Amino acid sequence: MGLVVKDVSKSFPSEHGIKPVLQDITFESKDNEFVCVLGHSGCGKSTLLNMIAGFASPDDGLMTVNGEQINGPDQERGVVFQEHALFPWYTVLENIALGPTFQGKPKEESQQIAKKYLALVNLEDAADQYPSQLSGGMKQRVGIARALANEPKILLMDEPFGALDILTRETMRKELLNIWMHLRTMVVFVTHSIAEAVHLADRILVMKQGKIASNIEVHLDRPRDAKHPQFLSLVDELSSILIEEKARA
Amino acid sequence: MTVGTNEKLSLKNSMTSHFFTTERKDSLSRMMTIAGFFALWQIIGMINAHFEWFNPTFLPTPVDVLGAALHLHDQGVLFTHIWSSTWRLGVGFILGVVIAVVLDFLIAKVKLVQNALEPLINIIGPIPPFALLPIFIIWMGVGELSKLTLITYATAIPMIAYTVDGIRNVNPLLVRSALSLGANQWQVFKSVILPSALPPIFVGMRVTLAISFSAMVVAEMIGAFSGLGYLIIDSRNFFQMDNMFLAAALIGVLYSIFALILSFIEKRLFKWRQGTQMNDAISK
Repeated sequence: MGLVVKDVSKSFPSEHGIKPVLQDITFESKDNEFVCVLGHSGCGKSTLLNMIAGFASPDDGLMTVNGEQINGPDQERGVVFQEHALFPWYTVLENIALGPTFQGKPKEESQQIAKKYLALVNLEDAADQYPSQLSGGMKQRVGIARALANEPKILLMDEPFGALDILTRETMRKELLNIWMHLRTMVVFVTHSIAEAVHLADRILVMKQGKIASNIEVHLDRPRDAKHPQFLSLVDELSSILIEEKARA
Repeated sequence: MTVGTNEKLSLKNSMTSHFFTTERKDSLSRMMTIAGFFALWQIIGMINAHFEWFNPTFLPTPVDVLGAALHLHDQGVLFTHIWSSTWRLGVGFILGVVIAVVLDFLIAKVKLVQNALEPLINIIGPIPPFALLPIFIIWMGVGELSKLTLITYATAIPMIAYTVDGIRNVNPLLVRSALSLGANQWQVFKSVILPSALPPIFVGMRVTLAISFSAMVVAEMIGAFSGLGYLIIDSRNFFQMDNMFLAAALIGVLYSIFALILSFIEKRLFKWRQGTQMNDAISK
């Protein structure tokens, strides 16, 4: 079953009439799959993610999760935002406990769940701190823990590491991979980094100008070695798709 | 060489003492200013009482004012006046803030309410509330109702204007974030909209507190039989300058207490804002 996106189109009004952002997007992804949506900024990848999250609806086409049509935001689709979007007035633990609390779970139970996911992202020490006291990488870990605490069917990540420095970014990538190997939740991960996509994904959707240019399944063993010949050839293949696109544009 | 070490030592001393006592020095010099003010006032009053440059009744000294306080206390009316003003202000201010905040949320949320209320506020708002007091008195009599109405009204109208934008400006990302965590409308309000509206609400409260106080004093000056504003007017009729100074000073003290309570609540409520203020940009 999993996630099915079929013939989805979306356009936004602009100064020069109606501007198509997404055209005839079709793909499927299985449960447990790690999907990366790769593309330049402005290619529509975030719009696609927002529609899967339910923040926007497609003009045309069909989007279903396990056969059910997507209709607005829902706790079965957890979102990790680039700007982390933590609630500044709640402590780290309260932020993570929020999902279970919204589900009507008693306070004790929500806190237990929150502690479990806090441990998963190695942040037990920061439980009582406020988001403003955390570094960028820590905020993003809280964001991931908060989304996971609802045990979503899909984890949607919109360039979650885009605002982090390169060193933190690599650490976070490894940690995310560890968490995912442990939980095996379906992930849809938007990025503009080719290496990040090849490191993480089972399936890479390359987007250019609102269309899917390529849908590639990756069969490399994890953890992946950036010096492996297959890794390098895949990076080459992806960059030729993307950079050729750029040269034509 | 000894001189050199001494110099170093004294430099070190002055640096550490600078680090540890700046705050104490600040509060000390502030207290000195206040004490100096009263001392100067007392001295000028006493000299004037001696040489009679002008009628000494016009400028009672701080000691005279304290004497007036004791006298009123003996008569048993001092705390009656203070309490009348306190509860009028408390009730009127809180009522005004609550009404304004509820209306603000409705204006921010419901377009219909916004279109109905905003033009009304735009035509009524510019009228100074005190101009309406005689009308309120004719409508509601000289009792408490007309006074409370004036204070509430004088609080609510500016409060609506100061706060509505702050309430409207909620980060949409946080709303999305709550929705994707499965929040319903009420939960979004409780955990996103209300907490992000609280800081502007408190800014509005601090600004309108002064207006409420003015309204309280004016209301008590017309057709009242107790309160600090009444004490001023009543004492003027009997030319008791010391009582008038006393009442004015007590109004100032009362205001400071209310402002202190507000900032105390703010500190408790906004613990999460530590490290996000302008003063936190550079730590000294």
